[in-house]
Amino acid sequence: MTVVQVTDLVKRYKNAAALDGVSLTLQENVIYGLLGRNGAGKTTLMSILTAQNFATSGEVSVFGENPYENSRVLGRICFVRESQRYPDDARPVHAFRMAAMFFPHWNQDLADELIDAFQLPMKTRIKKLSRGQLSAVGVIIGLASRAELTFFDEPYLGLDAVARQIFYDRLLADYAEHPRTIVLSSHLIDEVADLIERVIVIDRGRIILDEETDAVRGRASTIIGDAVAVDAFTAGREVLHRESLGRVASATLLGELDTQDRAQLAASGLEVGAVSLQQLIVRLTQHDAESSVAASAAATTPAEGARR
Amino acid sequence: MNRVLTVTRMQFVNKYTFVWLPLIILVVSLVLSIAIFALIPYGGAKYGGGSQAPIWYFFGLGIMSLSYTFPFSQALSITRREFFFGTMLAALVTAVLLGAVFAAGGAIERATGGWGVNGYFFSLDWVWTAGPVGAGVFFAVVGMVLFVAGFWGATLYRRFGPLGLTLTLSGVGVLLIVALWLVGRMDAWATVWTWLADLGPMGLTAVLAALTVVLGAASFLTLRRATP
Repeated sequence: MTVVQVTDLVKRYKNAAALDGVSLTLQENVIYGLLGRNGAGKTTLMSILTAQNFATSGEVSVFGENPYENSRVLGRICFVRESQRYPDDARPVHAFRMAAMFFPHWNQDLADELIDAFQLPMKTRIKKLSRGQLSAVGVIIGLASRAELTFFDEPYLGLDAVARQIFYDRLLADYAEHPRTIVLSSHLIDEVADLIERVIVIDRGRIILDEETDAVRGRASTIIGDAVAVDAFTAGREVLHRESLGRVASATLLGELDTQDRAQLAASGLEVGAVSLQQLIVRLTQHDAESSVAASAAATTPAEGARR
Repeated sequence: MNRVLTVTRMQFVNKYTFVWLPLIILVVSLVLSIAIFALIPYGGAKYGGGSQAPIWYFFGLGIMSLSYTFPFSQALSITRREFFFGTMLAALVTAVLLGAVFAAGGAIERATGGWGVNGYFFSLDWVWTAGPVGAGVFFAVVGMVLFVAGFWGATLYRRFGPLGLTLTLSGVGVLLIVALWLVGRMDAWATVWTWLADLGPMGLTAVLAALTVVLGAASFLTLRRATP
Protein backbone atom coordinates (compact mmCIF):
# COMPACT_ATOMS: atom_id res chain seq x y z
CA MET A 1 0.00 0.00 0.00
CA THR A 2 1.22 3.48 -0.84
CA VAL A 3 1.66 5.64 2.26
CA VAL A 4 3.17 8.76 0.75
CA GLN A 5 2.83 10.09 -2.76
CA VAL A 6 4.76 13.23 -3.69
CA THR A 7 4.55 14.83 -7.13
CA ASP A 8 6.80 17.58 -8.41
CA LEU A 9 7.33 19.19 -5.01
CA VAL A 10 9.05 22.58 -5.03
CA LYS A 11 10.02 24.62 -1.98
CA ARG A 12 11.60 27.96 -2.71
CA TYR A 13 13.02 30.27 -0.08
CA LYS A 14 13.86 33.87 -0.93
CA ASN A 15 16.83 33.13 -3.14
CA ALA A 16 17.26 29.38 -3.22
CA ALA A 17 15.23 26.30 -4.02
CA ALA A 18 15.37 23.89 -1.06
CA LEU A 19 13.37 21.32 -3.03
CA ASP A 20 13.46 21.40 -6.79
CA GLY A 21 10.88 19.09 -8.34
CA VAL A 22 10.82 16.12 -5.95
CA SER A 23 8.61 13.16 -6.82
CA LEU A 24 8.60 9.97 -4.80
CA THR A 25 6.46 7.22 -3.36
CA LEU A 26 6.78 5.56 0.05
CA GLN A 27 5.27 2.12 0.59
CA GLU A 28 3.81 0.61 3.76
CA ASN A 29 6.16 -1.24 6.15
CA VAL A 30 9.50 -0.36 4.61
CA ILE A 31 12.52 1.31 6.23
CA TYR A 32 13.76 4.09 3.99
CA GLY A 33 17.08 5.86 4.22
CA LEU A 34 16.79 9.50 3.23
CA LEU A 35 20.40 10.27 2.57
CA GLY A 36 22.11 13.45 1.55
CA ARG A 37 24.51 16.12 2.59
CA ASN A 38 23.75 18.88 5.07
CA GLY A 39 21.40 21.34 3.44
CA ALA A 40 20.39 18.90 0.70
CA GLY A 41 16.70 19.29 1.60
CA LYS A 42 16.10 16.29 3.89
CA THR A 43 14.46 18.16 6.76
CA THR A 44 12.49 20.42 4.41
CA LEU A 45 11.05 17.38 2.63
CA MET A 46 10.05 15.68 5.89
CA SER A 47 8.57 18.94 7.23
CA ILE A 48 6.34 19.31 4.20
CA LEU A 49 5.23 15.65 4.32
CA THR A 50 4.12 16.20 7.93
CA ALA A 51 2.46 19.58 7.20
CA GLN A 52 4.89 21.34 9.52
CA ASN A 53 6.07 23.39 6.55
CA PHE A 54 4.46 24.43 3.27
CA ALA A 55 5.38 23.66 -0.31
CA THR A 56 5.73 26.40 -2.91
CA SER A 57 4.14 24.07 -5.45
CA GLY A 58 3.51 20.38 -6.03
CA GLU A 59 1.24 17.70 -4.58
CA VAL A 60 1.60 15.79 -1.31
CA SER A 61 -0.67 12.94 -0.35
CA VAL A 62 -0.19 11.01 2.89
CA PHE A 63 -2.44 8.02 3.59
CA GLY A 64 -4.37 9.20 0.53
CA GLU A 65 -5.12 12.69 1.85
CA ASN A 66 -3.61 16.15 2.14
CA PRO A 67 -1.96 16.22 5.59
CA TYR A 68 -2.42 19.96 6.24
CA GLU A 69 -4.65 20.55 9.29
CA ASN A 70 -5.83 16.95 8.91
CA SER A 71 -5.81 15.17 12.25
CA ARG A 72 -6.96 11.89 10.64
CA VAL A 73 -3.65 11.81 8.77
CA LEU A 74 -1.42 13.57 11.30
CA GLY A 75 -2.51 11.24 14.12
CA ARG A 76 -0.74 8.41 12.25
CA ILE A 77 2.53 10.32 11.80
CA CYS A 78 5.44 11.09 14.11
CA PHE A 79 8.20 13.53 13.16
CA VAL A 80 10.54 14.88 15.83
CA ARG A 81 12.96 17.21 14.11
CA GLU A 82 16.67 17.32 14.75
CA SER A 83 16.44 20.87 16.20
CA GLN A 84 13.17 20.14 18.02
CA ARG A 85 12.05 22.76 20.55
CA TYR A 86 10.30 21.68 23.74
CA PRO A 87 8.03 23.62 26.11
CA ASP A 88 9.98 25.96 28.37
CA ASP A 89 10.98 24.31 31.67
CA ALA A 90 9.71 20.92 30.48
CA ARG A 91 11.59 17.85 31.66
CA PRO A 92 11.84 14.62 29.65
CA VAL A 93 9.12 13.12 31.84
CA HIS A 94 6.73 15.90 30.70
CA ALA A 95 7.63 15.49 27.03
CA PHE A 96 6.89 11.75 27.19
CA ARG A 97 3.65 12.30 29.11
CA MET A 98 2.52 14.76 26.43
CA ALA A 99 3.52 12.39 23.64
CA ALA A 100 1.55 9.59 25.31
CA MET A 101 -1.58 11.76 25.09
CA PHE A 102 -1.44 12.14 21.31
CA PHE A 103 0.01 8.99 19.76
CA PRO A 104 -2.67 6.30 19.69
CA HIS A 105 -0.14 3.43 19.65
CA TRP A 106 2.19 4.92 22.29
CA ASN A 107 3.93 2.19 24.29
CA GLN A 108 5.03 3.30 27.73
CA ASP A 109 6.94 0.07 28.48
CA LEU A 110 9.08 0.60 25.41
CA ALA A 111 9.63 4.23 26.38
CA ASP A 112 10.71 3.19 29.90
CA GLU A 113 13.11 0.56 28.52
CA LEU A 114 14.66 3.11 26.20
CA ILE A 115 14.98 5.73 28.96
CA ASP A 116 16.95 3.10 30.89
CA ALA A 117 19.04 2.07 27.90
CA PHE A 118 19.98 5.66 27.04
CA GLN A 119 20.43 6.53 30.74
CA LEU A 120 18.36 9.63 30.17
CA PRO A 121 17.96 11.85 33.25
CA MET A 122 14.21 12.34 33.65
CA LYS A 123 14.30 15.20 36.15
CA THR A 124 16.66 17.51 34.29
CA ARG A 125 15.12 20.32 32.29
CA ILE A 126 15.29 19.58 28.59
CA LYS A 127 17.06 22.84 27.85
CA LYS A 128 19.88 21.74 30.15
CA LEU A 129 20.37 18.36 28.43
CA SER A 130 23.45 17.62 26.34
CA ARG A 131 23.13 17.28 22.57
CA GLY A 132 23.18 13.50 22.84
CA GLN A 133 20.52 13.42 25.57
CA LEU A 134 18.37 15.76 23.48
CA SER A 135 18.66 13.37 20.56
CA ALA A 136 17.69 10.52 22.89
CA VAL A 137 14.44 12.33 23.83
CA GLY A 138 13.54 12.55 20.13
CA VAL A 139 14.52 8.94 19.45
CA ILE A 140 12.42 7.68 22.37
CA ILE A 141 9.36 9.64 21.21
CA GLY A 142 9.88 8.37 17.65
CA LEU A 143 10.19 4.72 18.67
CA ALA A 144 7.61 4.59 21.46
CA SER A 145 4.99 6.43 19.38
CA ARG A 146 4.84 3.38 17.08
CA ALA A 147 3.28 5.72 14.54
CA GLU A 148 2.42 4.14 11.20
CA LEU A 149 4.72 6.64 9.50
CA THR A 150 7.72 7.66 11.60
CA PHE A 151 10.46 10.07 10.58
CA PHE A 152 13.85 10.16 12.29
CA ASP A 153 15.79 13.33 11.48
CA GLU A 154 19.52 12.66 11.96
CA PRO A 155 18.66 10.96 15.25
CA TYR A 156 22.28 10.09 16.10
CA LEU A 157 23.57 13.66 16.62
CA GLY A 158 25.65 13.78 19.79
CA LEU A 159 24.95 10.13 20.65
CA ASP A 160 28.02 8.06 21.43
CA ALA A 161 28.75 4.82 19.58
CA VAL A 162 27.04 2.68 22.23
CA ALA A 163 23.89 4.78 22.23
CA ARG A 164 23.77 4.81 18.43
CA GLN A 165 23.98 1.01 18.38
CA ILE A 166 21.20 0.83 20.98
CA PHE A 167 19.05 2.96 18.69
CA TYR A 168 19.73 0.85 15.59
CA ASP A 169 19.15 -2.43 17.48
CA ARG A 170 15.95 -1.23 19.14
CA LEU A 171 14.65 0.17 15.88
CA LEU A 172 15.11 -3.15 14.08
CA ALA A 173 13.75 -5.23 16.95
CA ASP A 174 10.63 -3.11 17.35
CA TYR A 175 10.14 -2.86 13.60
CA ALA A 176 10.20 -6.66 13.35
CA GLU A 177 7.37 -6.93 15.87
CA HIS A 178 5.45 -3.86 14.78
CA PRO A 179 6.10 -3.20 11.11
CA ARG A 180 5.58 0.38 10.01
CA THR A 181 6.95 2.85 7.51
CA ILE A 182 10.14 4.45 8.76
CA VAL A 183 12.13 7.22 7.14
CA LEU A 184 15.60 7.62 8.57
CA SER A 185 17.40 10.75 7.46
CA SER A 186 21.14 10.54 7.78
CA HIS A 187 24.46 11.52 6.41
CA LEU A 188 26.23 8.68 8.25
CA ILE A 189 25.45 6.33 5.40
CA ASP A 190 27.45 3.24 6.33
CA GLU A 191 26.03 3.23 9.85
CA VAL A 192 22.48 2.88 8.60
CA ALA A 193 23.28 0.85 5.47
CA ASP A 194 22.32 -2.47 7.07
CA LEU A 195 19.08 -1.05 8.40
CA ILE A 196 17.54 0.48 5.36
CA GLU A 197 15.71 -1.46 2.71
CA ARG A 198 15.49 1.33 0.23
CA VAL A 199 17.81 4.25 -0.41
CA ILE A 200 16.64 7.70 -1.40
CA VAL A 201 19.47 10.13 -2.08
CA ILE A 202 18.66 13.80 -2.20
CA ASP A 203 21.17 16.32 -3.44
CA ARG A 204 20.57 20.04 -3.73
CA GLY A 205 16.81 19.62 -3.63
CA ARG A 206 16.62 16.82 -6.20
CA ILE A 207 16.21 13.08 -5.81
CA ILE A 208 19.23 11.56 -7.54
CA LEU A 209 18.74 7.95 -6.44
CA ASP A 210 15.71 5.97 -5.31
CA GLU A 211 16.42 2.21 -5.29
CA GLU A 212 16.54 -0.99 -3.26
CA THR A 213 19.66 -0.94 -1.07
CA ASP A 214 20.83 -4.31 -2.40
CA ALA A 215 20.45 -3.22 -5.99
CA VAL A 216 22.47 -0.08 -5.28
CA ARG A 217 25.26 -2.13 -3.72
CA GLY A 218 25.60 -4.24 -6.86
CA ARG A 219 25.78 -1.23 -9.07
CA ALA A 220 29.43 -0.49 -8.60
CA SER A 221 32.70 -2.17 -7.77
CA THR A 222 36.31 -1.19 -7.24
CA ILE A 223 39.07 -2.58 -9.44
CA ILE A 224 42.54 -2.59 -7.89
CA GLY A 225 45.89 -3.51 -9.43
CA ASP A 226 48.56 -2.48 -11.91
CA ALA A 227 47.73 0.99 -13.26
CA VAL A 228 48.15 0.00 -16.91
CA ALA A 229 45.93 -3.06 -16.53
CA VAL A 230 43.31 -1.03 -14.64
CA ASP A 231 43.22 1.59 -17.38
CA ALA A 232 42.97 -1.10 -20.04
CA PHE A 233 40.00 -2.70 -18.28
CA THR A 234 38.19 0.54 -17.50
CA ALA A 235 38.54 1.97 -21.00
CA GLY A 236 35.05 2.61 -22.36
CA ARG A 237 33.39 2.04 -18.98
CA GLU A 238 31.89 4.62 -16.65
CA VAL A 239 34.47 5.42 -14.00
CA LEU A 240 33.15 7.17 -10.91
CA HIS A 241 36.50 7.67 -9.28
CA ARG A 242 40.15 6.81 -9.89
CA GLU A 243 43.08 6.90 -7.51
CA SER A 244 46.65 5.84 -8.03
CA LEU A 245 49.69 5.41 -5.84
CA GLY A 246 52.85 4.70 -7.80
CA ARG A 247 52.05 1.91 -10.23
CA VAL A 248 48.96 0.72 -8.38
CA ALA A 249 45.61 2.19 -9.28
CA SER A 250 42.08 1.71 -8.05
CA ALA A 251 39.03 2.66 -10.02
CA THR A 252 35.38 2.68 -8.97
CA LEU A 253 33.25 1.47 -11.85
CA LEU A 254 29.57 1.94 -12.35
CA GLY A 255 27.68 -1.05 -13.72
CA GLU A 256 27.50 -4.72 -12.81
CA LEU A 257 30.32 -7.08 -13.71
CA ASP A 258 29.37 -10.15 -15.75
CA THR A 259 31.22 -13.50 -15.84
CA GLN A 260 33.23 -12.47 -18.88
CA ASP A 261 34.39 -9.32 -17.05
CA ARG A 262 35.39 -11.36 -14.04
CA ALA A 263 37.38 -13.79 -16.17
CA GLN A 264 39.17 -10.87 -17.84
CA LEU A 265 39.93 -9.34 -14.44
CA ALA A 266 41.37 -12.60 -13.15
CA ALA A 267 43.49 -12.97 -16.28
CA SER A 268 44.99 -9.49 -15.90
CA GLY A 269 45.66 -10.01 -12.20
CA LEU A 270 43.24 -7.33 -11.02
CA GLU A 271 41.36 -7.54 -7.76
CA VAL A 272 37.70 -6.68 -7.30
CA GLY A 273 36.60 -4.96 -4.11
CA ALA A 274 33.12 -4.16 -2.90
CA VAL A 275 32.05 -0.55 -2.76
CA SER A 276 30.38 0.51 0.44
CA LEU A 277 27.05 2.29 0.15
CA GLN A 278 28.66 5.40 1.56
CA GLN A 279 31.49 5.38 -0.98
CA LEU A 280 29.08 4.83 -3.83
CA ILE A 281 26.77 7.63 -2.77
CA VAL A 282 29.67 10.00 -2.14
CA ARG A 283 31.01 9.19 -5.59
CA LEU A 284 27.59 9.56 -7.17
CA THR A 285 26.92 12.92 -5.58
CA GLN A 286 30.43 14.13 -6.40
CA HIS A 287 30.03 12.90 -9.93
CA ASP A 288 26.68 14.60 -10.18
CA ALA A 289 28.09 17.86 -8.85
CA GLU A 290 31.10 17.78 -11.16
CA SER A 291 29.17 16.91 -14.29
CA SER A 292 26.54 19.55 -13.60
CA VAL A 293 29.31 22.11 -13.04
CA ALA A 294 30.95 21.08 -16.30
CA ALA A 295 27.64 21.12 -18.13
CA SER A 296 26.60 24.54 -16.96
CA ALA A 297 30.12 25.85 -17.63
CA ALA A 298 29.42 28.34 -14.90
CA ALA A 299 32.37 29.84 -13.12
CA THR A 300 32.76 28.23 -9.71
CA THR A 301 34.63 29.96 -6.94
CA PRO A 302 37.66 28.04 -5.65
CA ALA A 303 36.05 27.72 -2.22
CA GLU A 304 32.97 26.07 -3.68
CA GLY A 305 35.08 23.76 -5.79
CA ALA A 306 37.09 22.71 -2.78
CA ARG A 307 33.96 21.96 -0.80
CA ARG A 308 32.81 19.57 -3.46
CA MET B 1 -13.02 18.32 19.70
CA ASN B 2 -11.52 15.55 21.78
CA ARG B 3 -8.02 16.46 20.65
CA VAL B 4 -8.66 20.13 21.47
CA LEU B 5 -9.37 19.14 25.08
CA THR B 6 -6.26 16.95 25.06
CA VAL B 7 -4.22 20.01 24.05
CA THR B 8 -5.71 21.85 27.04
CA ARG B 9 -4.69 18.97 29.33
CA MET B 10 -1.26 18.93 27.69
CA GLN B 11 -0.69 22.58 28.61
CA PHE B 12 -1.19 21.60 32.26
CA VAL B 13 1.18 18.59 32.19
CA ASN B 14 4.00 20.81 33.35
CA LYS B 15 2.17 22.63 36.12
CA TYR B 16 5.12 24.90 36.72
CA THR B 17 4.29 27.35 33.91
CA PHE B 18 0.52 27.48 34.08
CA VAL B 19 -0.12 26.92 37.80
CA TRP B 20 2.79 27.23 40.22
CA LEU B 21 4.63 30.22 38.79
CA PRO B 22 1.56 32.52 38.59
CA LEU B 23 0.58 31.37 42.09
CA ILE B 24 4.05 32.16 43.44
CA ILE B 25 3.99 35.59 41.80
CA LEU B 26 0.55 36.25 43.29
CA VAL B 27 1.47 35.18 46.82
CA VAL B 28 4.81 37.01 46.85
CA SER B 29 3.35 40.26 45.51
CA LEU B 30 0.46 40.00 48.01
CA VAL B 31 2.75 39.41 50.99
CA LEU B 32 5.13 42.19 49.93
CA SER B 33 2.22 44.58 49.37
CA ILE B 34 0.74 43.89 52.83
CA ALA B 35 4.17 44.37 54.40
CA ILE B 36 4.55 47.71 52.64
CA PHE B 37 1.00 48.77 53.58
CA ALA B 38 1.84 48.00 57.21
CA LEU B 39 4.99 50.12 57.03
CA ILE B 40 3.25 53.21 55.65
CA PRO B 41 2.32 55.53 58.56
CA TYR B 42 -0.98 56.63 57.05
CA GLY B 43 -4.42 55.89 58.51
CA GLY B 44 -6.52 56.07 55.34
CA ALA B 45 -7.14 53.35 52.75
CA LYS B 46 -3.94 52.38 50.90
CA TYR B 47 -3.80 51.01 47.35
CA GLY B 48 -0.86 49.48 45.56
CA GLY B 49 -0.16 48.21 42.06
CA GLY B 50 1.20 44.87 43.27
CA SER B 51 -1.83 42.96 42.07
CA GLN B 52 -0.86 43.80 38.50
CA ALA B 53 2.08 41.37 38.69
CA PRO B 54 0.12 38.11 38.31
CA ILE B 55 -2.08 39.73 35.63
CA TRP B 56 0.90 40.84 33.57
CA TYR B 57 2.27 37.32 33.84
CA PHE B 58 -0.47 36.36 31.37
CA PHE B 59 1.34 38.38 28.72
CA GLY B 60 4.46 36.27 29.23
CA LEU B 61 2.33 33.15 29.39
CA GLY B 62 0.90 33.94 25.96
CA ILE B 63 4.38 34.35 24.51
CA MET B 64 5.69 31.14 26.12
CA SER B 65 2.76 28.93 25.21
CA LEU B 66 3.31 29.81 21.55
CA SER B 67 7.07 30.07 21.16
CA TYR B 68 7.92 26.96 23.17
CA THR B 69 4.90 24.71 23.08
CA PHE B 70 3.76 25.25 19.48
CA PRO B 71 6.90 23.68 17.92
CA PHE B 72 6.55 20.66 20.18
CA SER B 73 2.82 20.38 19.41
CA GLN B 74 3.80 20.04 15.75
CA ALA B 75 6.07 17.11 16.63
CA LEU B 76 3.09 15.52 18.37
CA SER B 77 1.12 15.78 15.11
CA ILE B 78 -1.34 18.30 16.55
CA THR B 79 -3.05 20.50 13.95
CA ARG B 80 -2.70 24.26 14.26
CA ARG B 81 -6.44 24.59 14.84
CA GLU B 82 -6.37 22.04 17.70
CA PHE B 83 -3.34 23.75 19.21
CA PHE B 84 -4.99 27.19 19.04
CA PHE B 85 -8.32 26.29 20.60
CA GLY B 86 -6.80 23.92 23.17
CA THR B 87 -4.31 26.56 24.29
CA MET B 88 -6.93 29.32 24.44
CA LEU B 89 -9.08 27.06 26.59
CA ALA B 90 -6.11 26.41 28.91
CA ALA B 91 -5.56 30.17 29.20
CA LEU B 92 -9.26 30.71 29.89
CA VAL B 93 -9.21 28.13 32.69
CA THR B 94 -6.22 29.89 34.27
CA ALA B 95 -7.79 33.33 33.78
CA VAL B 96 -11.05 32.21 35.41
CA LEU B 97 -9.05 30.84 38.36
CA LEU B 98 -7.24 34.18 38.58
CA GLY B 99 -10.60 36.01 38.54
CA ALA B 100 -11.91 33.73 41.28
CA VAL B 101 -8.83 34.34 43.43
CA PHE B 102 -9.21 38.11 42.94
CA ALA B 103 -12.91 37.99 43.82
CA ALA B 104 -12.32 35.87 46.91
CA GLY B 105 -9.24 37.90 47.88
CA GLY B 106 -11.20 41.14 47.48
CA ALA B 107 -13.99 39.82 49.68
CA ILE B 108 -11.52 38.79 52.40
CA GLU B 109 -9.81 42.17 52.12
CA ARG B 110 -13.08 44.04 52.64
CA ALA B 111 -14.14 41.78 55.51
CA THR B 112 -10.81 42.19 57.36
CA GLY B 113 -10.55 45.95 56.89
CA GLY B 114 -7.70 45.66 54.40
CA TRP B 115 -5.78 42.80 56.14
CA GLY B 116 -5.99 44.80 59.38
CA VAL B 117 -3.70 47.49 57.96
CA ASN B 118 -6.27 49.21 55.72
CA GLY B 119 -4.35 48.21 52.59
CA TYR B 120 -6.12 47.07 49.45
CA PHE B 121 -4.46 44.66 47.03
CA PHE B 122 -7.33 42.99 45.16
CA SER B 123 -10.29 45.31 45.50
CA LEU B 124 -10.22 48.48 43.50
CA ASP B 125 -13.31 50.46 44.47
CA TRP B 126 -14.19 51.29 40.89
CA VAL B 127 -14.15 47.63 39.82
CA TRP B 128 -16.01 46.48 42.94
CA THR B 129 -18.99 48.67 42.03
CA ALA B 130 -19.84 45.67 39.84
CA GLY B 131 -19.85 43.35 42.86
CA PRO B 132 -17.49 40.43 43.58
CA VAL B 133 -18.57 38.35 40.56
CA GLY B 134 -18.26 41.34 38.25
CA ALA B 135 -14.79 42.07 39.65
CA GLY B 136 -13.76 38.44 39.10
CA VAL B 137 -14.97 38.53 35.49
CA PHE B 138 -13.18 41.85 34.95
CA PHE B 139 -9.80 40.49 36.12
CA ALA B 140 -10.25 37.25 34.15
CA VAL B 141 -10.88 39.23 30.96
CA VAL B 142 -7.90 41.51 31.59
CA GLY B 143 -5.76 38.37 31.98
CA MET B 144 -7.16 36.93 28.74
CA VAL B 145 -6.58 40.05 26.68
CA LEU B 146 -2.96 40.16 27.82
CA PHE B 147 -2.54 36.46 27.09
CA VAL B 148 -3.89 36.82 23.55
CA ALA B 149 -1.75 39.91 22.93
CA GLY B 150 1.40 38.01 23.93
CA PHE B 151 0.29 34.97 21.92
CA TRP B 152 -0.32 37.02 18.78
CA GLY B 153 3.01 38.84 19.12
CA ALA B 154 4.86 35.52 19.46
CA THR B 155 2.96 34.07 16.48
CA LEU B 156 3.88 37.08 14.32
CA TYR B 157 7.49 36.67 15.38
CA ARG B 158 7.47 32.95 14.56
CA ARG B 159 5.91 33.47 11.16
CA PHE B 160 7.40 36.76 9.93
CA GLY B 161 10.50 37.17 12.09
CA PRO B 162 11.53 40.24 14.12
CA LEU B 163 10.98 42.60 11.18
CA GLY B 164 7.42 41.36 10.60
CA LEU B 165 6.60 41.77 14.31
CA THR B 166 8.07 45.28 14.39
CA LEU B 167 6.21 46.35 11.25
CA THR B 168 2.89 44.98 12.54
CA LEU B 169 3.30 46.72 15.90
CA SER B 170 4.24 49.92 14.05
CA GLY B 171 1.13 49.52 11.90
CA VAL B 172 -1.06 49.13 15.00
CA GLY B 173 0.63 52.24 16.47
CA VAL B 174 -0.08 54.24 13.31
CA LEU B 175 -3.74 53.14 13.37
CA LEU B 176 -4.05 54.29 17.00
CA ILE B 177 -2.55 57.70 16.15
CA VAL B 178 -4.91 58.03 13.19
CA ALA B 179 -7.80 57.25 15.54
CA LEU B 180 -6.58 59.91 18.01
CA TRP B 181 -6.23 62.41 15.18
CA LEU B 182 -9.74 61.62 13.92
CA VAL B 183 -11.22 62.14 17.38
CA GLY B 184 -9.44 65.49 17.68
CA ARG B 185 -10.44 66.47 14.16
CA MET B 186 -14.09 65.78 14.87
CA ASP B 187 -13.81 67.65 18.18
CA ALA B 188 -15.17 64.55 19.87
CA TRP B 189 -12.89 64.26 22.92
CA ALA B 190 -15.65 65.32 25.27
CA THR B 191 -17.94 62.62 23.85
CA VAL B 192 -15.18 59.99 24.16
CA TRP B 193 -14.48 60.84 27.81
CA THR B 194 -18.18 60.76 28.67
CA TRP B 195 -18.52 57.41 26.92
CA LEU B 196 -15.56 55.99 28.88
CA ALA B 197 -16.91 57.34 32.17
CA ASP B 198 -20.35 55.88 31.44
CA LEU B 199 -18.88 52.56 30.44
CA GLY B 200 -18.37 51.36 34.01
CA PRO B 201 -16.43 48.18 34.90
CA MET B 202 -18.83 45.86 33.08
CA GLY B 203 -18.82 47.99 29.94
CA LEU B 204 -15.02 48.03 29.98
CA THR B 205 -15.05 44.24 30.48
CA ALA B 206 -17.22 43.88 27.38
CA VAL B 207 -14.87 46.11 25.34
CA LEU B 208 -11.84 44.09 26.50
CA ALA B 209 -13.64 40.82 25.74
CA ALA B 210 -14.31 42.07 22.21
CA LEU B 211 -10.65 43.04 21.89
CA THR B 212 -9.69 39.53 23.05
CA VAL B 213 -11.82 38.02 20.29
CA VAL B 214 -10.31 40.34 17.65
CA LEU B 215 -6.72 39.59 18.75
CA GLY B 216 -7.58 35.89 18.99
CA ALA B 217 -8.90 35.87 15.42
CA ALA B 218 -5.74 37.66 14.24
CA SER B 219 -3.62 35.07 16.10
CA PHE B 220 -5.52 32.19 14.54
CA LEU B 221 -5.10 33.55 11.00
CA THR B 222 -1.39 34.15 11.63
CA LEU B 223 -0.91 30.69 13.12
CA ARG B 224 -2.58 28.95 10.17
CA ARG B 225 0.57 29.30 8.07
CA ALA B 226 3.20 29.43 10.83
CA THR B 227 6.03 26.89 10.83
CA PRO B 228 7.66 25.47 13.97
